[in-house]
Amino acid sequence: MPAVTTNRTPTMKNLNTLLAGVFLAVALPFGALVLSGQAQLGGLGRAAGEEGGALFPAREPGQAIQGRAVYVSLGCVSCHTQQVRPAGQGSDIARGLGVRPSVARDYALQPQVLLGERRLGPDLANYGARSSKINVETLLTDPASSGAAWHPSYRFVDAAQRAALVAYLKSLRQDYPSPEAKLKK
Amino acid sequence: MTQDNRSGRPQGRPPEGDGRVSRVEASLRGPFLLFFVSAVVWLLAASVLGVLAALDLGSLQGGFFRDCPWFTPGRVAAARQDLFVYGWGFNAFFALNLWLLAQLGRFEFRNGWLAQLGGVAWNLALTYGVARVFAGEMGAFRLLDFPREVGPVLAVAFLLAGFWPIVAFARRPTGHTFASQWFVVGASFAFPLIYLLAQLLVLWQPASGVVQAVAHSWFVANLLQLWFGASALAAIYYFLPKVLERTLSAYYLAPVAFWTFFLFAGWTGPAALVGSPVPLWLQSTGVVAAAMMLIPVVIVAINVHGTLFSQGGWARAWNDTTLRFVSFGAVAFTLAGVLGSVFAFRSGSALVRFTSFATGLEQLLVYGCATMVVFGASYFILPRLTGALWPSAKLVHAHFWATALGFAGALVAWLVGGWQTGQLLANPAVASADVLRAESSWFLVLTISAVLLLVGHVAFALNAFGMILKSSAPADAGRHD
Repeated sequence: MPAVTTNRTPTMKNLNTLLAGVFLAVALPFGALVLSGQAQLGGLGRAAGEEGGALFPAREPGQAIQGRAVYVSLGCVSCHTQQVRPAGQGSDIARGLGVRPSVARDYALQPQVLLGERRLGPDLANYGARSSKINVETLLTDPASSGAAWHPSYRFVDAAQRAALVAYLKSLRQDYPSPEAKLKK
Repeated sequence: MTQDNRSGRPQGRPPEGDGRVSRVEASLRGPFLLFFVSAVVWLLAASVLGVLAALDLGSLQGGFFRDCPWFTPGRVAAARQDLFVYGWGFNAFFALNLWLLAQLGRFEFRNGWLAQLGGVAWNLALTYGVARVFAGEMGAFRLLDFPREVGPVLAVAFLLAGFWPIVAFARRPTGHTFASQWFVVGASFAFPLIYLLAQLLVLWQPASGVVQAVAHSWFVANLLQLWFGASALAAIYYFLPKVLERTLSAYYLAPVAFWTFFLFAGWTGPAALVGSPVPLWLQSTGVVAAAMMLIPVVIVAINVHGTLFSQGGWARAWNDTTLRFVSFGAVAFTLAGVLGSVFAFRSGSALVRFTSFATGLEQLLVYGCATMVVFGASYFILPRLTGALWPSAKLVHAHFWATALGFAGALVAWLVGGWQTGQLLANPAVASADVLRAESSWFLVLTISAVLLLVGHVAFALNAFGMILKSSAPADAGRHD
């Protein structure tokens, strides 16, 4: 008599029960994942890696803040991530993408967090730390000549915005000590 | 046997039509056609952008779009996704969900103009949002990348356009309900909640730091499962027994599928953040929820594939245009569910993280399942609504084969290509440039697939628009194209 089960289940007939169930199905995960995430991490600020050391993450220069807006506007996030995974999950550190895994505090000052989901190009979490030898400006305007033939060209971006973008990219670094991720050197 | 016999029909099977059905359908004509036609127009726009995006990917090296700000890869990809999800996906399910629940609840739609107003507002807000994306004023999170003033307009438009299925459910004359009704009511009620909460925490009052990424993963998982997944399941549960004229096997399990689906889907978001700098307990919760999603996926498989496997169901499904698409969608749903659960586990997800694998899983649900189901449903509904026949059988075949092959090709490229890329990425000895070179060998497949999908969608649009224009429309209905 399988039919009886559904026919006698009032929940499947009563609109209010149905809506209440769906509401809980949306509200509970939202509260448990997003709101408690906010409760846990919302208070993160700058901190020193060692007692009396400098506070990190460093405040961003104004030009880098403008550069982030350019980065968002060009959709860079669709091909570049900004996160270094811990050893054991991928080869991020062995690959030289960073000296330590990213931690939540690294992003505490960022108005928009651009973790990214796709790594068509290299990770940029520590781009500032390794870009000193690269002419980033040329890479953006003439990728082929700087050995990044796959990279889209951004010649159409005006010079001021491009300078801001370069400043932003150069400001990206997570190579400082933090209480959560002590540098193992 | 108790109530089901008194209600005059077997369990696990939607009610047969009666004399009032034609009145029901006549009352739906205007809003349905507005939603349907706008959905198809957006689908065509998204497919053109899909071809552009694929070319963008393949021809970056000195390519045609190299120096054009409008066609810079990031913007094309974002606009394509927005048009596909909010343009096609929402308009199509506004139409389909409304039709389903009006049909099942014998609901005569007297305030069609309100739904049409909502549809117009939705489309205008979407047009504005996509124009701003192309102009470079987009947000940082995909599917929430419209300027923030668009969000409230879309939410209000949704309430006007997408809330009627709940009204139809509340006003149904019989006490009896069918699985499709639960899923549609759930989808129609869940989306505005999800959308408003996500807007609030990502755009208006941004959460701090990486919590934005958690909120975003929560939003994307809910949007995909509770809107696309639930709406598509409603249609699968309706059309399968309807066209086969049989009851669903083990239908008594369907309420369990419904409740477990809604119970677990909302928690799966952070499974996409494995390895990211968010608390481990969040990642683990996501992984556990993704594994639990196997329960509804298995029950749906028992209901749907159990029915198809008995009494030559597959053969009959293959020979019926509607069911050919719908059962394609049902298979894709099962595949998406199983792969989604298996690859949520840390070892798997660490390997395919940041590759095209996630795109493949997402498209399996959004295109392989939801879109194909909408296509199948259109072949059932439009002739009844317009009183005309599909103008060309050849175009129907072209539609099925182009979309099925195009999608299958892209799926292989995303999943197999993603798997390969993941293995290369996991090996630090392989240089990043070599990883990209290996991945680029799939770009040709993706381009051909995108062209095939466009061809299929054009065939569908020609057939459908030809039919709508040919039908003898009363002056006050339809004709919004």
